[in-house]
Amino acid sequence: MLSRVAENVYWMARYLERAENTARLINTTTQVLLDLPKEASFGWDILLKVAGLDQLYDEFGKETNEMSIMYFLIEDERNPSGLVSSINCARENSRTFREILPKEFWERVNSLYLYMREHAPRTFQSRASRYEVLNQVIDRCQSLSGLLMGCMSHDLAYQFIELGRSIERADMTTRIVDINSAVLFSKQDMALEPLQERLWMAVLKALSAYQMYRRHVCVHVSGQDVLNFLLQDTHFPRSVRHCLGKIDESLATLPHQAVTLRVARKAWRRMAGLRWEGLTPAVLHEYLDQTQTDLGDIHRTLSNQYFHPPVSTADGPQTTLISSQSEQQA
Amino acid sequence: MKISYVEYQKNEAYDELLDRYTHPRAAAQALFEYLNALKPGELETRRRSVDAAIMAMGITFTVYSEAGNIDRAWPFDIIPRVMAKKEWDRIEEGLKQRLIALNLFINDLYNEQKIIKDGVFPREVLAGSHNFREQCRGITPRFGVWAHVCGTDLVRDKDGTIYVLEDNLRVPSGVSYMLENRQIMKRIFPEIFQTCSILPVDDYPTQLHDALAALSPRDGERPVVAVLTPGIYNSAYFEHSYLAQQMGAVLVEGSDLMVDSDDQVYMKTISGPRRVDVIYRRIDDDFIDPEVFRADSSLGVPGLMRAWRAGKVGIANAPGAGVADDKVVYTFVPQIIRYYLDQDAILQNVPSYLCMNETDKDYVLTHLDKLVVKPANESGGYGMIIGPRATHDERLKFAELIRANPRNYMAQPTLSISTAPTLDGDSLVPRHLDLRPFILQSSHLYATTGGLTRVAMRPGSLVVNSSQGGGSKDTWIVETEE
Repeated sequence: MLSRVAENVYWMARYLERAENTARLINTTTQVLLDLPKEASFGWDILLKVAGLDQLYDEFGKETNEMSIMYFLIEDERNPSGLVSSINCARENSRTFREILPKEFWERVNSLYLYMREHAPRTFQSRASRYEVLNQVIDRCQSLSGLLMGCMSHDLAYQFIELGRSIERADMTTRIVDINSAVLFSKQDMALEPLQERLWMAVLKALSAYQMYRRHVCVHVSGQDVLNFLLQDTHFPRSVRHCLGKIDESLATLPHQAVTLRVARKAWRRMAGLRWEGLTPAVLHEYLDQTQTDLGDIHRTLSNQYFHPPVSTADGPQTTLISSQSEQQA
Repeated sequence: MKISYVEYQKNEAYDELLDRYTHPRAAAQALFEYLNALKPGELETRRRSVDAAIMAMGITFTVYSEAGNIDRAWPFDIIPRVMAKKEWDRIEEGLKQRLIALNLFINDLYNEQKIIKDGVFPREVLAGSHNFREQCRGITPRFGVWAHVCGTDLVRDKDGTIYVLEDNLRVPSGVSYMLENRQIMKRIFPEIFQTCSILPVDDYPTQLHDALAALSPRDGERPVVAVLTPGIYNSAYFEHSYLAQQMGAVLVEGSDLMVDSDDQVYMKTISGPRRVDVIYRRIDDDFIDPEVFRADSSLGVPGLMRAWRAGKVGIANAPGAGVADDKVVYTFVPQIIRYYLDQDAILQNVPSYLCMNETDKDYVLTHLDKLVVKPANESGGYGMIIGPRATHDERLKFAELIRANPRNYMAQPTLSISTAPTLDGDSLVPRHLDLRPFILQSSHLYATTGGLTRVAMRPGSLVVNSSQGGGSKDTWIVETEE
């Protein structure tokens, strides 16, 4: 498999996952904000923080009202992680390897792109139409994942899809958990207790985890249980530990995987070793920061090993290749 | 469905499907019986579902313009162009004859140049050729073949004669649209393929693969074949990807390949470098190897020429094959066929005037309003002038260009190129078209069954290039009882 194709497949999976996560995050946050009493409400800019886009947003110097933030997160092509940008990138990447995916995949990615091109402006008409359009995006992204799972040979290309998806997913989960826990833990006021429960519920919903949490953990929603479920559950597909496990499985099928596997296992051990006794919000935050760094390390070793490796042939001299493709937005 | 008699009465060109009483020709009989049996509005409904299918399948080409590159859906007309097999057989023979002779010619130019020494081909034409590559002198590729894939443009004049308009020997494109057009037609009109005996076109990818595989320097092993594309921003990227997919070949960009000090070509894979045996390149000569040609090219592979010269990799079409893809060289093809094959050309050239000859040049300059003048080395309909349709000022400007560089121009009388019924709303109107068959030469010879029919969608327009607003039709070669 060509290194360039491996990289493009990997990024395509990340972009698709990112689009789905962004759409879900916006929809859930909107619903939660509507539920909250005025004095407890936090601002729309929390979305920027979760997505790690607050600095980029500041550079454009916009106001922090709902409309401007939504425009930035959905349609603004200056935002490389925005919904429209992610979908465009997923489609552009798919074009470069149509020959290795199931035939319908390209048609459906293309159709998602055409849908977004037509309907993105509708997300500004009303919250209702925004909800509807973003739900369509979630549906279509899931149908694409399903197509790959059900109709694609689980070959090397598929492993790079799994890797891209799992890394992006774990990253999103740590971000949502991190920001929300910071917001929540800082408010120690007893009067806010029932409110906290509702916010934790929102965290679960943003990750499509609410029902599974109730089924497997508890009907009541408590901070520590939610954190435990989203970070350490072994069976829930969006928990960080589960994603790290998936990364491990996929890496094990690749050639020359020793270095990358070592880095991935280190991250897995760190997550599995998290203990709740006496854990302060500050320590948790550090822990999540470290997990994000670990994910970044996995990405970097993948890139060095498979996407832009130093090249040598059987009997030729060592040649170091200079990457022609600029590093895509991580 | 109805035929627009108003438009057909005005039509002075030969029509491919209808005779001058607007009765279907023999080969189109079955098609018209089928069309006539459709309910009113049915054709329009099917056309709409074709448009939707093309959009959804993402069959696109890119148009370069100042406003940025636009991905346009491939314009397609659902009324096929039909030709009788008997006529096609003779054309096919002519196409093969032509390619054999052209390859002998190219190989001669890069080696002994006997045709020049024997005074059949003028040395000054070669000297003025942009596409002659000094770096290829002394090489004889496998089978002596330089142009493995050729796209030859054919048109039909008023009296029904088929003429060759030009031979594309560098990186001819369009074959994927020929294949996709047939897929679409089968999706939309499945019934007619049962009743009509339409010859299939879908063995092209297999034939292309075999032609390429035969160029592998490693006999006996399954060769690694790569399609080299400039990337997704090339207007023919869709085709590059499509052909790679159909042939089970690897689609590569220049940066995926490297040539090591052993002169071997490798592609960079996740398991390390892997040897490549044959490259079907869809990049112009100028860009394929910055070590030899344009140093500023980032599309190519440094060292590729070295590897090819050392016989470590097969390249199709061979670098330098474009020397015969020159509109001045074109005018010599009948002599070239006679010289190498001792045969008369089966397919005729359009009568041409070479501006490098004083008398021809004077004739061209005084008859600009009646001629089409083309630059020798351009393709895609760029840089030419259609005299009768140009303004006085445009003609004056063009005359200056010819005087400044006569070797670069040739002229032909404006043919009244043929038409075929094309759907406009619910009626059939005559639109001009041409035909581009694709011919392969390697260990064996092959020609597509029919080819890509390109049609000028605008009334009266003669320009069929997709980059200039042309569309396409499915091309049917049918067996007729005669």
